[in-house]
Amino acid sequence: MRSEILHLLRLEVALDLRQRAAWGGMLLYVVSAVYVCHLTMKDALGTGTWNALFWIILLFAAFNALARSFLREDQGRQLYLYTLAHPRSVVLARALYNAVTMVVLSLLSLLFYALFLGNDALAQADLPQFITAVVLGGIGFAAVLTLIAALAARAGNGIGLMAILGFPIVLPMLLAVMRASQLALSGAAWAETGMYFLGIAALDVVTVALAWLLFPYLWRD
Amino acid sequence: MKQWWWKFLAVGLVLIASIAALRTPLAPAVVHASEGALKPGPNTVTVLGYATRFTQESPRVFVENGGQFIAADQVEVLDDRRITARFLVPEGLREDMSDLLVSTTTQGTMRLFDAFYNPEKGSGALEGVTEGPPRTERTDFAFPNRNILYESIRNLHFHVPMWFTMMLLQTIALVFSISVLGSGNPLHDRGALAAVHVSLLFAGMGLLTGSLWARATWGGWWTSDAKLNGAAVTVLIYLAYLVLRGSVNDPAKRARLAAIYNVFAYVLMLLFIMALPRMTASLHPGSGGNPAFSQYDLDDSLRPVFYAAVLGWMGIGTWLLNLQYRLARIEIAHDHAHHR
Amino acid sequence: MTMRTTVRLFLLLVVLTAPSAAFAQGEPDWLVDTLYGSGKINTVVAVVSVILLGLALWLFRLDRRIARIEQRTK
Repeated sequence: MRSEILHLLRLEVALDLRQRAAWGGMLLYVVSAVYVCHLTMKDALGTGTWNALFWIILLFAAFNALARSFLREDQGRQLYLYTLAHPRSVVLARALYNAVTMVVLSLLSLLFYALFLGNDALAQADLPQFITAVVLGGIGFAAVLTLIAALAARAGNGIGLMAILGFPIVLPMLLAVMRASQLALSGAAWAETGMYFLGIAALDVVTVALAWLLFPYLWRD
Repeated sequence: MKQWWWKFLAVGLVLIASIAALRTPLAPAVVHASEGALKPGPNTVTVLGYATRFTQESPRVFVENGGQFIAADQVEVLDDRRITARFLVPEGLREDMSDLLVSTTTQGTMRLFDAFYNPEKGSGALEGVTEGPPRTERTDFAFPNRNILYESIRNLHFHVPMWFTMMLLQTIALVFSISVLGSGNPLHDRGALAAVHVSLLFAGMGLLTGSLWARATWGGWWTSDAKLNGAAVTVLIYLAYLVLRGSVNDPAKRARLAAIYNVFAYVLMLLFIMALPRMTASLHPGSGGNPAFSQYDLDDSLRPVFYAAVLGWMGIGTWLLNLQYRLARIEIAHDHAHHR
Repeated sequence: MTMRTTVRLFLLLVVLTAPSAAFAQGEPDWLVDTLYGSGKINTVVAVVSVILLGLALWLFRLDRRIARIEQRTK
């Protein structure tokens, strides 16, 4: 099973390297979103608003980036994957790959965001904690949205349906990471934010376990 | 008659609970004090009662701060609902908030929690402190009376059972969905759909009644509250479920996709609802540091009535689902007969 | 948010809302006459009405579906 997942991961990377335009598209989306905020928010933002705006941008970026993850499949490739690998390996590999994608994307978003919208909010922050929150949030979004992206793709309906299905489910994750990152921004102790990090990690595990359980039913035709 | 007993039971329970909710008298209570803060020295306060009969009693009035009592040295009964009392407040009271107590002979001791703010704190008063009134428990059957709720506490027996019923129906939908994943039975898919429909009816009634009640007690149609956010997410999830069903045409595929989403969403929603009150403050009793059914919220004597209301409404909800389900079965059988 | 601050906040809220609710001050007139009326019993009337209307709505829906099947069986 592990070799199967590794094989699938290698396949994902190879595919992504071939369509570099997709990565460019994701980055451009984030940069444009941040730049629009930069243009519309002329005044300096308070810490709370700064934090909220960052997570909203990241949430939309996650929807945009992860919608691809199952939509890019055509019927032929799906059939190939189906005969080649166990569906549970497919979903685990995909979730893993999405998590990596989201971690990279969220760190890049943070970079652009701090560049364009100022980093005053980070002045008092415990930076390692905040980055942990961002990374965990990215992984969390990936965990929740992987199965949702697959569902939307199977329903034959694109990113619109994914947004409708995903928003209410991703909300718990969003609230938890926003609160954790808010604590990190105000320079709270690890003991306090640690509870949130543990909670988010537990939520991630449950979500991936559910996806692992349910995916075979989605896959079969 | 055999399959009917639970329907009669449900209607009976709802009937009993509703009559109790509407007919039980409100306990007499102190609901308002004319002053918001007590300063050291003489303070004259007009006390407002609800369902009280001060003229037939000889009420004694006290202020309690951190276990220390101050008795009013002058008490004048204006009418059944109003008393004027004068306190000689000593220096050095130790807590932020003081309670107001009115002790009567037949209606027991009534307490207005956190009636006064104490601007100057000390480490405890040294003089002017007396014995408190006797602790008297009321034994009659009455709704507790809180100053922001008044008669609207009766809503407890109508508003809360809506949410319990909704959760029961969603759990039934979950069971149907799991069954669909296992067997692919189209009837169970329709059962899940019917349960979601009925649960949304109860969610709608819960939201509307809650909104009205919130306006009357907290002053806003919608407050940002853990319980309200949980309810909103729940409704959004099941509306998304309906949208998902609407966007797939093939019945077998629709059944499977809807079942997958239902199971996934239900589990995450459950985690959310369990974790949320720990993260945010809440105005609802029983969460965010607010006491649940204790102190001033629900008398023990009324608790069985509340549970009767919950069970009764759950029965009504199940009955509605039962009707929908049977209708779906007829529709499926009918479609089969036609296609042949 | 710690338990202590939560409790404090709640107490503050009670203190802030209690006087306005007791005499319904600063509330629009139509609300004082309706929702707040007679010791807020009108809120209960509104809530019970909403529930009855909800059940009626359901009856209408059920009626429509049954009518549709009847039409088809004819």
